[in-house]
This record gives sequence, C-alpha cells and structure tokens, in this order.
Amino acid sequence: MKSVKRVTVFLILLASTTAAQSDRATYLKEFRQRVEHIKHVYDTSQASGFYQAAVRYALRKNVRQADSMFVEALRVPRGDMFWMFPVIGTYLNGREVMSAETKAVVRNAWKTYAPYRGDTENHWAMYYASLFLAAEQWPNLPGSEWYNGKSSDENREEAKEYLFDWARITTTIGQGEFDSPDYFAEYAISTILLAQYAQDPQVRQLGKMLTEYIFADFAVEHLDGQYLGGFSRIYQPAVYKPLLSTASAFAWLYFGTGEPTSSGWIVLPALSGYELPEIIYTIAIDRSKPYVHKERKRVRNVIRYGKEKNPPVYKYTYVTKNYGLGSLHGGILQPIQQHTWGVRYTYGRPYTAIFGLHPYWSGMELGMFFPEEVKTLIADVVASKGTYNNPDKWTSASPFERTFQHKNTLIVLYDIAPGTTAEHINGFFPRNLQERIVDESGWIVCKAGDTYVGWYPLQEYEWKEEFENPANRLNDVGRPVLEREKETGNWRLRSHKLQNGYVVEVRSKDEIGSFERFRAELKKRIPKSTLAPGHVAVEYTTLGGDNMQFRFPEDRKLNGVAVDLSRTKLFDGPYLQADVGSQRLTMTYRNKKRVLDFKTLTISE
Amino acid sequence: MLKTICTFVGLLLVIASHVANAQKSTVYASVVSTKLFIVGAPNPQTGLFYQRPDDDTTWQHTGRNNIRAFGFDVLASSNGQILCIASGNGVHQSFDGGRTWKITTGWRITEVLSATINPYKQEVLYCTTPYGVFKSMDGGRSWHEKNKGLGALFTPALLIDPRNSDSLFCATEDGVYRSANAGESWQRTGLNVGGVRTLAQHPTDSNILFAGTEDHGIYATWNGGKYWEKMEAGIDHSTFYTIVFDPTNPQMMYAGGYVTGVYKSTDGGRSWRRANDGLTNLNVHSIAVDPTNGQRIYAATMFGGVFRSDNGGTSWRYAGLHGSQVWTIKVLPF
Repeated sequence: MKSVKRVTVFLILLASTTAAQSDRATYLKEFRQRVEHIKHVYDTSQASGFYQAAVRYALRKNVRQADSMFVEALRVPRGDMFWMFPVIGTYLNGREVMSAETKAVVRNAWKTYAPYRGDTENHWAMYYASLFLAAEQWPNLPGSEWYNGKSSDENREEAKEYLFDWARITTTIGQGEFDSPDYFAEYAISTILLAQYAQDPQVRQLGKMLTEYIFADFAVEHLDGQYLGGFSRIYQPAVYKPLLSTASAFAWLYFGTGEPTSSGWIVLPALSGYELPEIIYTIAIDRSKPYVHKERKRVRNVIRYGKEKNPPVYKYTYVTKNYGLGSLHGGILQPIQQHTWGVRYTYGRPYTAIFGLHPYWSGMELGMFFPEEVKTLIADVVASKGTYNNPDKWTSASPFERTFQHKNTLIVLYDIAPGTTAEHINGFFPRNLQERIVDESGWIVCKAGDTYVGWYPLQEYEWKEEFENPANRLNDVGRPVLEREKETGNWRLRSHKLQNGYVVEVRSKDEIGSFERFRAELKKRIPKSTLAPGHVAVEYTTLGGDNMQFRFPEDRKLNGVAVDLSRTKLFDGPYLQADVGSQRLTMTYRNKKRVLDFKTLTISE
Repeated sequence: MLKTICTFVGLLLVIASHVANAQKSTVYASVVSTKLFIVGAPNPQTGLFYQRPDDDTTWQHTGRNNIRAFGFDVLASSNGQILCIASGNGVHQSFDGGRTWKITTGWRITEVLSATINPYKQEVLYCTTPYGVFKSMDGGRSWHEKNKGLGALFTPALLIDPRNSDSLFCATEDGVYRSANAGESWQRTGLNVGGVRTLAQHPTDSNILFAGTEDHGIYATWNGGKYWEKMEAGIDHSTFYTIVFDPTNPQMMYAGGYVTGVYKSTDGGRSWRRANDGLTNLNVHSIAVDPTNGQRIYAATMFGGVFRSDNGGTSWRYAGLHGSQVWTIKVLPF
C-alpha cells in the first residue's frame, strides 16, 4: 500500500514537473519567436542606425553594411548616455566581425565625444553600465585615450563602485526613480547588458540580479502589458494610453502581453540572449486571484527645502485580472512627472486609465531636486518638459494631495493653499468608457468592460471635453508642447474648490455582479466629509464593509485602527517580500521560491 | 618734414611700447546651458569659454562640451595654465592651459557648483555641491568631504581669505559659515537668513563681507561675520546671485540677481543704484571687474549671454554667448 502511495506521489510530482517544463518550453519558444520578429524588423530596415547595425552584426549577415551603418551613426555623436548604451551594445554584438577600421572609429568616439553623466538615476544607470562595459573592452589605456581623462582602470573601477552602490541603496531603502513605465527601459537595458556582457564575474552577477529585481518589481504590478499603480515618472499621453510606455514593449517581449511592437528599446535586450526566469513571468501573468501588493521606495535626492535626503514613498496596489488600482501616499515624491494614483484595466485600448491629480508646479518643487536657480528653473524645465507649468497637465506631484487606499477603494484629499498653481483639481475619464453616468446620489459611475469605477466628488465640479490639441501650442521658450499626437474627446473633471477630494471604488463583474448592482450599492454609500481650510477629512464605509477615516494630510484609520505607513516593507505581497535594509528580495510563486541576496551576491532557489 | 616723420614714428613707438607693457587680461565664462538645452539632445556648445579682449573679443571654447559648467577657477599665478571647472559631471582640471583635461572627481561628487584653487597652495582645491563641501590636498587626485558643522549642505559658493588661506567662508542654504582651519570644521556666522547664493570679501579688509541671498536681499558684515546688516539703501530687489568689489577701488561694488540688472555702489556697499543702460537681460548671475581696468565690467546673464561696460557700468553692450545661461564670469590679469 505504501509503495502504491509512493508511486502515486512520484507520478504527480513527475507530471507537475513535466507540465512546468512544458510551460517553460512553450514560453521560451514564443519568446524566441518575438526575438526573431525584432531581429527581422531591424535586419530589413535600411536606416543607418545603431540597432540596424547591431542586428546585422548579431546575425553575422551583411556585416560590411553594418560597418557602414555603425560608422555613419557615429559620425556626429550626440545624446550623452543615450548614445553610450547603443554604441557599446552595438559594438558588443559586432566586435568579432566588424572591420578594424570600424573598430577604430568606435574606439576614437570614446576618446573624443564627452557624454554628460546626467542628473537622474536612469541617466547614471546608463552612463555607468555603458562606461563599465566600454572600459572592459578597451583595458589598460591611459587617460589620454578616454573622453574624461581617466584611464581604463579608473573608469572601470568608478563605474563598478557606483553600480554596486546603486544596488545597495535600491535594495536597502528603495529605488528613487521607481516604477517608471517610461524609464523602465533605461534600467532594463543597462542591467541586461551588464548581465550578458560584463567580463567581471561580480558585475555580471550584479547585472543579472538587478535585472531580475526590476523585472520582478514590474511583474507584480503588471496587467495586460501595463504598469499599474502610482509612478515616479510618466509622460503624456502614456499616462492615459498606457501601452505607449516603453515598459509595455518589455512586457510584450518578456511576458508576452500587451501588443506586438518593434520598439528600438528592446533591440539590444532581444539580441543579448537574456531569458527571464520562469518565476518572474509567471508572477507577471497569473491573475487568477486578486491581491494587495505594497511597496516602499524613496524620494529622489532632496538637495534643499527638506530635512531628509530620501524620504520614503509608500505605494499600495490592488491587482485583479480585470483591473489594478494603485496609489502613492501623496505629496511631492518626484518632480514633474509623478503619477500619484490611477486605475488601469484590460478593456478598451488604448484609453485604459482613470485617474486624478492636482496640477502643481513651482520653483520650490524644482529647487528641491535641481541645483540651478529657483527663480528660473521653471523656464529651464519647460524647455524639455513642456507641460510642466500647464494647468491642464496630466502628470504632477502636489504638496496638497494625499491618498488613503484599502484594497479596491481609494480616498484622495486636497487642502490647497490659496494662490497655488493651480487652484483646481483634474480627473481624467477616457472617451471610450461604455458608461459614464452621473447618478443623482453624486456618484459618477463608469463601465469599462467588466470593470466598474465609481467616483464620488466631495465638491462641485464641471465637465470639459478635451478638443484642444496641445501639440500646436508653444511653451515659454517657443517650443512645441511635448505631445505625441492629437487627443480629442476625453473628459476632464475639474473642480475649483481648494478643500477637495473624492472617493473611488473599483469592482469587476466577478466581484460584484452587474453594473446596475454596482451602481445601486454605491448609492447606499455617501461619504461624510469636512472640507474647511486646515481641516479636510472624510469618513466612508467601503463596498466591502470596511470603515475608512482619513484626515488630511496623514491621519488614516481603517476600522478605527490607525494605519502606520512607516512600517511598510520594500516589497510586501503574495509574490514579493523584502524588508527595509535587507538587500534581499524573496520571490514566491506557488511552490517555487527565488531569493536575490545582494549582500552575498547570490541567487538561490 | 623729416623731423615731423621722426616725431610721428617716435610717437608710434612710444604708444606701441606702452601697449606692449600694459597688462592684458583674459575673460573666462562658464555656460551651464542655453535656452535650448536638453539632456541627451543635440545641444548647442556649452562649457568654459574665454576671450582676450585686448586682442580679440571672439569667445574660444576650452575643455569638454556639454558638461553643465557652473563655476570655474583659474590660478592667476600660472598665467592660465592651471584651471578647474565645476560641472555637473564633477571637477574637470587642466594643468596645461586647457589643452588636456581630466575629471578628477568620482561618482560621489556631482552637480559641482563652484571650484576654488588655493592661490598659495595650488595642490589644495575646494569644490561646493548640493551635498556640501569637498576638498583635495593633492591637486585633485583624491577628494574628501568637509561638512563638519554645516547646518545645510546645499553650498553654492566658497571663498578663501586672500590674506589667510586657512580662513574660508561658504554660502549655504542655512546662512554663511566660516572655517578657521581650511575646511576641517565650520561655524555658523551671525547671519540669520537662509538661501545664501553668493559671497564677496573686501580685497584688503577680510572682516568686510557681503552676502547675496534668495529672497532676502543683500547683507553685509564689517566684523568678519559676527553681525550682519541688511543693505537697504537703493535696493528694490530681493534675490541676488552675485556681488563683487572692484579690485582697483573697493569702494566701487556691483551686484546682480533675479530681474535686478546691475546694481552699483560707490560707497563700499552702503548705498546702491541701478546701472542698466543697454543691459537687455536683467537676470544677472555673475559680474566681473577687470583687475587691469576698473572701468571694464562684465555682466553674465541667465539665457542672455554676456554684456560689457567700458565705463564702470554707465552703459552696457552685448558681448556674445547668445542665449546662454552664463553662471560665472571672471577676468584674470594675464
């Protein structure tokens, strides 16, 4: 009898192992097909770009043409760190087959063109990852052979030291430029290049672990190709058309979600041969059960107007198979392009998001993070981020905004000082909602496929249909406002009251049944609010029956118990766990476990 | 006739000899950015520029392009052979008059706002950053943080007392700090306002200093920083990025800041009046007086290039670097 049981257990284990292997085999087959798609697109392109050359080199096909393309692309170097990574990436793909003349041109470029290191975390990741790889490729050269006057050894050591310190701070108190759908690519490319091409075994291992770290961070807040929740940085219009973000290109390549793309951002990763561990893509695509995922990140370096260099950022995301609702706790956590909260869903591409914000801008906000003169910083920033001082903008951090989220319910409060830019709040409602009903109870009730969104404004508001084409407007220095295409027909909720707020409820058909039932349930729940300067508060009982009390800015109570955000871990959810200061990330999926230990630089399963 | 010709030739020789013996000067200007600067974009040329106004007023570029050059220093006694630039990428140094350069700082030092060479010990350098003060004692080979005692780290400027190179002052977000031991420790002076952007020390009396601030105007001390007095007479603005003494006559002073244009004082800073005739950009970030000719003044503007006056600020004319945000300008006597 015992032997029968043993055989049965063995067979079950064998079957599950075989199934897992089969799943992995299927995944890898499809992944490689996507890689081939990318190669084909760039192999057949005749433009003289780095990626066209890199693909030809990788395929060992039309190598002389690749040489010409590479040399042409290097003719007028520009782009700083955005030049560095494609140059070294292309070189690494072609070094064994390119001509000696081409090699000399590449080498000379690293001597004569001086890239700027930049002023953001993604800039530095690209800069130092590329510099490290370049210094390895051309070892033992004196400073006279490098643009910065440092020898190969000095450059390699400096880059290595920075990369390890970046890993240390990221895995200790969180990334500063965190969860950015539009800057995910810059990190992913940098770490994948290190993982695949670094000769130094420590840096190679670091690259591998950092790649897994940032992909795991994305995977757990991913739905259908979209990054979920609050973000440090995102551009318009990707904030309301999520699949435009570069992270979505990586989601397609590595998770098989979203839409097929030939984005240049994924060419070097596709050529590198890097394959994502199974546990990460399974976390990314398994949405069979809803879950709460919490994170702690850090504010980018505060250089003035603040007591703490890197205050914490608390992030809360609720993920289901139909939607994700996520939020940062609020305040100025990142200048210019912050996305404090949003709901994103699977229905209705490309407009798959509803969110709100206070469109704030100030010299002081910029002065917190940039060293230039406060009085002229706004004009300086608007030169490249044209929407920054636009009262209609769709990304913003605000010192007058705070959130409180519990599962799929969110409260957002504002206590805006008079005279602030701007004296209103905005809400974004996409044009392709199936329903956008203003119920007599005050709830705005929306339907997006099987996702239902309720929004209860605490103050009077107006609707504005967006017919304006911002691309035709010029900013303060005469440059077109950075918009990628004309947008019309979306709906803007605008409220001019300075003491303000709203409650957002999100449910899916699975969770609550029909849309009519959702609407009926909302009607029974009217938030109680106090909206006076210095005293903005709301009490609300959720559709799930939980009592939320929130007084601006930081007084949050759930069912009568104070919520202590300071206890938030770096990662805390069913799939990812990491304590503050631990330098250790544990990934869990069903019976699988994978631990990244940055102290010992090891991966264990 | 011959006598006339001889007299004329003799006069020419005297003039030529005088010109040859007259001390020349070199103007340096650091350009952080231009109106069109975007990180990663094909940007116009920025960095360190210079001209020798007695020979040619064309601006020449030296060093690396596109480095967000905030400040710089040139060791006057080296006749321009020893230079350093304070940039976003760190401190760039040249020991051969700008023919070759090296970034001598590593990744820990960034967004460098000023760099200062000790005029008496050229191997000693300081740089200031949003993260405080750093010092090198070996000509830039190694750098060390020197923030002991500083209440706020954002430090736009540092000056070395020309009569005692162990005595330093630095401008911080938390007021003006003084070090009596070459930066090993700092003590807050008596100035009770923050947001200090610039400092100027009297050329011959070390106890006299002026501080320009963000939003709080100009303050002066006559006792080395124990007590500071707000300068009110004639001043209608509140944000000042630059204050300088005329080294040839310290009673003459100039100041500039946000929408201020140029302010001039003829009584050692006790009273001021605006001197903006011809100055078409009023955001003045740096002013320099030619040490060989106190009437020749340069005003560096934010996104308006450089302006020059040849009559002590009575009138100004545009002097190049169109559209540039010129952070620092200096005139050296060589």
